[in-house]
Amino acid sequence: MKIISVSEINKTFGEVCAVCGLSFEVEAGTCFGLLGPNGAGKTTMMKMIYGKATRDKGCQGRIDVFGYDPARDELAIKYLSGVVPQEDNLDEELNVVQNLLIYSKFYALPTKVARERIASLLAFLELSDKAKSKIKELSGGMKRRLVIARALLNNPKLLILDEPTTGLDPQVRHVIWDKLRQLRGQGTTILLTTHYMEEAFQICDTVLIMDQGRKVMEDNPVRLLEENIERYVLEVPDGQGEHGASRDCPAEGVRLDYAQGMRRFYSDEIDRLKELADTLQGEPYYLRQANLEDVFLKATGRGLNEKQ
Amino acid sequence: MRSSDGLAHPLLWRRLYSVWYRHMRVYTRNLVSNGLPPFLEPLLFLLGVGLGLGKYITESMEGLAYIEFLGTGLLVTTAMFTASFECTYGTFIRLEYDRVYDGMLAAPITAANLIVGEILWAGTKGFFFSFAVLCILTAFRIVHLPHAMLAPLVGFLTGVMFASMSLLVTSFVKTINHFNFYMTGFLSPMFFFSGVVFPVGNLPPTMRFVAELVPLTHAVRLVRAACTSRYDVHLLGDLAYIAVFIVVVGALAVRRLRRRLVS
Repeated sequence: MKIISVSEINKTFGEVCAVCGLSFEVEAGTCFGLLGPNGAGKTTMMKMIYGKATRDKGCQGRIDVFGYDPARDELAIKYLSGVVPQEDNLDEELNVVQNLLIYSKFYALPTKVARERIASLLAFLELSDKAKSKIKELSGGMKRRLVIARALLNNPKLLILDEPTTGLDPQVRHVIWDKLRQLRGQGTTILLTTHYMEEAFQICDTVLIMDQGRKVMEDNPVRLLEENIERYVLEVPDGQGEHGASRDCPAEGVRLDYAQGMRRFYSDEIDRLKELADTLQGEPYYLRQANLEDVFLKATGRGLNEKQ
Repeated sequence: MRSSDGLAHPLLWRRLYSVWYRHMRVYTRNLVSNGLPPFLEPLLFLLGVGLGLGKYITESMEGLAYIEFLGTGLLVTTAMFTASFECTYGTFIRLEYDRVYDGMLAAPITAANLIVGEILWAGTKGFFFSFAVLCILTAFRIVHLPHAMLAPLVGFLTGVMFASMSLLVTSFVKTINHFNFYMTGFLSPMFFFSGVVFPVGNLPPTMRFVAELVPLTHAVRLVRAACTSRYDVHLLGDLAYIAVFIVVVGALAVRRLRRRLVS
C-alpha cells in the first residue's frame, strides 16, 4: 500500500526551480530518504507533503498522502503524521513535560492519556530523567530526541523528519537511528531528508537522490551502490609523487576521478588498487570500500553549486 | 486509498483553543513578572495624576473629574498596548527568531487557525490588563461596581482590534526595528488624541474627523459609557465600527500573514 504518492510536482521561488517535476512513491512501513546537497529541494518537497509549503499554482502534478491532498486536507494529513522540523523549535520557557503537554492539546488528547503517552515516549527516547528539566539545560541531542517525542504524541502512521541528526554526535545519531528502525518495525512509515550518506544507508529502504530540484536516481541503497559505483576506492591526496601530475587512467579496470586535491581510483577489484598503492612510493593513501557518498558525489558532481 | 482516520482531527474551536492554551501556558509560566506590572502601572499613573497633575485640572471633562476621565481611558489604552506588543514584537519573535510557529504548524492546525488563535489570545490579554486597571480604579473608588464590570469586555474587544491591526503590520515588517514607526507613529498619537487624556470635542474639526477614524476613540467611548452607565444610541455606531474593523482588518491580517507562514 502506498502512503505517499507524488507525481510531477513543481515548486518555484521567483526564478529558481526548487522542485522540478519530481515524482516518487512511499510504501507503507518503509523508510524513504530524500538525499541531496543543501538547496536540492528536499525540505521544500517535504513541506509540500504536510501543507507547510504549496506547490506551484499551475502545477498539474499530484500529491496524495493517505488518500488526501495536502492542498485541501492538510489537517487530516497532519493528524495522521508526526513532523520533526529542521530546527528544534521548543518552548524555552517550559520544561520537557510541559512542552509535550501543550503540544498534546493540538491533538485534543485528554490530559490523562497525554501524561501516560508522554511518560512512555520519554522512556522510549531515553529522556525519562529529564522530564522536569528546562529546555536550556538539554544538550543538542536531547532537544532533538524531545522534538521526535513531540512528533510521536499522536501515534503517527507517518513520521516526517527533516535532517533528524544534523549536527549531532555519533552516539546520539546511532541512538536516533535505532529508534527510527524500531518505529519502522512497528509499522510506522518514515520519510526523511538527509545529506548524510551513512544515515541513508543505515535506515532507508529506498533513497531518492535529488539535485537542483530534480531526481537523479532512486533505489534501495545497497542496489544504488552495486549498480552505480565500483566496489573499492583508493584515495590519494594530491602530492608531488609519480601520479601527482597524471590525470590519465593508470591501469585497465581502474577509473580515476580527480577533485579538490584528491585523486580517487575506483575499481571493482581490490588487487588492482593494491598494486597501484604499492607504486605510490610512500605517499599517504586510504583504500576503502565505496560508499553511498561516492555514488552521491558521482551523481551530483563534486563542485559546489550556487545554492550551497 | 483514503484513510478515514484523518477526518477525526480536532474541531475548529479545539484547534483555536490549543493555540490559545499554548500562549496562556507560556505567559503564566512567569506569573509574577508578567502578572504584576498590569496592576502596578495604573497605580503609578493614578498616583502621579491624583497627587500632582490632578490638582491643576479643576474643570470637569464630559462631566467627569479629571481622574475619572483619565482613569476610565486607561482601561482601554492598557489593552491596546498589550495586544499591540504581543502581536508585533511577540509575533515577530515567534515567527522569525524562535520559529515557534514552524513547530505549531506541524500539528493539525492551519495557518489561519494559528493567526486567529493569536488574535484571541491578545484579546484575552486585553481583558486581563483592563481587569487589572479596573481593580485599581475600584480600589481608589474612581469607578464603581457593578456596572464597571463590563470594562474588561471592552478591553477584550480593544485587544482583538489592535491584535488584528498589529498582525497586519507585522505581515509587512522585514526587520524588528520597523515596529518603532508603528509604536511612535500610530499608537502614541492615538493615546493622546483619541479622547483618553482630553475630550475629542476639543480637537479642531479636521483632527476630530481623523480621531473618529481611528479605533481607539470608539473603544474609549464604549468603556466610559460602561463605567458611568451613561448609554446613548450613538454607542451602537461605535460598536458597529469595532465589529467591522475586527472582521475586515482581521481577514486581511490572516490573508497576508498566512503567506509568511506557508511558503
